[in-house]
Amino acid sequence: MISPRRLVVILAHELRLARRDPLPIMVLIVFPVINMAFLKPAFRPALVQGGHQHANGAEQVVPGQAAMTAFFLVSLVTFAFFAEHGWETWDRLRASQATSAEIVIGKALPRLAIGVAQFVVILSVGVFLFDLHIRGAVLAFAPLVTAFCLCLILLGVAVTAVCRTAQQANSFSILGMVLFGAIGGALVPLNVLPGWARTIAPVTPTYWVMRGFRSVILDGQGIGGVATPTAVLLAMTAVFTVVALLRLRLDETKVGWA
Amino acid sequence: MLEVEGLHKAYGATVALDGVDLVVPPGTVLGLLGPNGAGKTTLVSIAVGLRRPDAGTVKIDGIDAVRHRRRTGRLIGFAPQETGIYPPLTVRDNLRFFAGLAGLRGRDLRDRIDDVAGALGLSALLDRRGSELSGGERRRVHTAIALLHRPKLVLLDEPTTGADVRTRGEILQLVRGLADDGSAVVYSTHYLHEVEELDAHVAFIDHGRIVARGAVDDLIQEYGSSGLELTFDRHVPSAARVDGAIVDGTRVRIPTSDPAGTAAQLLPRFDLDTAGLRGIEVVRPSLESVYLSVTGRRYAQTVEPAA
Repeated sequence: MISPRRLVVILAHELRLARRDPLPIMVLIVFPVINMAFLKPAFRPALVQGGHQHANGAEQVVPGQAAMTAFFLVSLVTFAFFAEHGWETWDRLRASQATSAEIVIGKALPRLAIGVAQFVVILSVGVFLFDLHIRGAVLAFAPLVTAFCLCLILLGVAVTAVCRTAQQANSFSILGMVLFGAIGGALVPLNVLPGWARTIAPVTPTYWVMRGFRSVILDGQGIGGVATPTAVLLAMTAVFTVVALLRLRLDETKVGWA
Repeated sequence: MLEVEGLHKAYGATVALDGVDLVVPPGTVLGLLGPNGAGKTTLVSIAVGLRRPDAGTVKIDGIDAVRHRRRTGRLIGFAPQETGIYPPLTVRDNLRFFAGLAGLRGRDLRDRIDDVAGALGLSALLDRRGSELSGGERRRVHTAIALLHRPKLVLLDEPTTGADVRTRGEILQLVRGLADDGSAVVYSTHYLHEVEELDAHVAFIDHGRIVARGAVDDLIQEYGSSGLELTFDRHVPSAARVDGAIVDGTRVRIPTSDPAGTAAQLLPRFDLDTAGLRGIEVVRPSLESVYLSVTGRRYAQTVEPAA
């Protein structure tokens, strides 16, 4: 049973910790904005080649960089758990009144909010600074972005569950960002990728979030355009949840940092 | 307050607890003594719900602590062996977090933080970050967290490891105060002299079993003996291996009520030039000698108290 009062205590605590060390969250904003400035002109030809004559490159680079950088959420989640081991606070937290569910949800929810906020900021920066034209319904981004961030958060919990050390978890996160970002069509448009990459792209969450973004930004669709991508992202979330439930043992000894 | 019965726990082939029975009534301090690896931390971990026993029961205030961990959790104040606080947060925020989890709110929460901080000399440090504290200060914050919600049962696992003299003194004083106020305290340590200072009840744990228990004075009276301890350079010569002697490496302890007389009898038997006798020590009856009597081994004090 989850106590809302204890959950609020944990949420406030996690936000307090995040406030004390805002650099990782700033990276979520600064990193994609810098990349957007450099990469925007490079993507216009690929989008034009893909049949979007009026595209200026922002249609790819803004959601693409936001989606790639969002993979830092996986790191943020794993760090939230491994840091407790590094600080030797894990046993104390488990021995407190907080239940396992409250601890996991209390750590996941603030990161979900951070992820959604990151997309809001990056898309806004895209519109105001990089001339991003959104042809479809902006509100359609809400379920798509929420599902994608939720998927990454649960991937983070699953990675925490299967890794024994913080270094392992960090490697997973970086590998996921680069690999999923590249294959999923966030780093470069999908149509410039080799055939084999386009074939396996649908196994990545990035592919589906980018497909949803393209539907709204380039094809002018609304909720209908993001329904399938959102559903697939939620299905992937369910898979990561099952992995987390099967493998996450809170009494397992983990190595925070050597 | 705490009743442990027939507790068993094994990690693979290693038996950590082998049928432990304990009772800690309200208003008492139980010094849980034993060398590293004796099973103290496993026992405490099971009592607070961090581990599940293979067999046996743990009751706290009459409630099964294994089945109803959340209910008994409210009654427990626990300070694990490792000093665990959040370095990026201030002392106040560290205390606030755990007080909040324990159900304290508003004025009660603020008052308890001030009270506990005052009792452990932390009042001036409340707005300092955990990362800026000394080892002793961290240890005091760590201990303070366990006491915020006025627990009926306090379990302190090696609370003075790495602590400075001042911190150790404050913690011992606090433990006495807790018992005076009616709490039951389990004080797990491998420092015998701390339990003697606390004048606590004692349970010696060795290889997962309680091998002796009782009040310090009673145990010393029953098991403690004076003796003579001889240390040699290489090996203990046969002349020193008298009846009842306990040999431990290059040392031999001979239980005797008359150490001086025994020394006078024994020493002429050695060829002092070749025996390599390095030291002679008269041992008074103490918890150390109790341990020796009940286990046949010297108390392996592997970690020396900090100066």
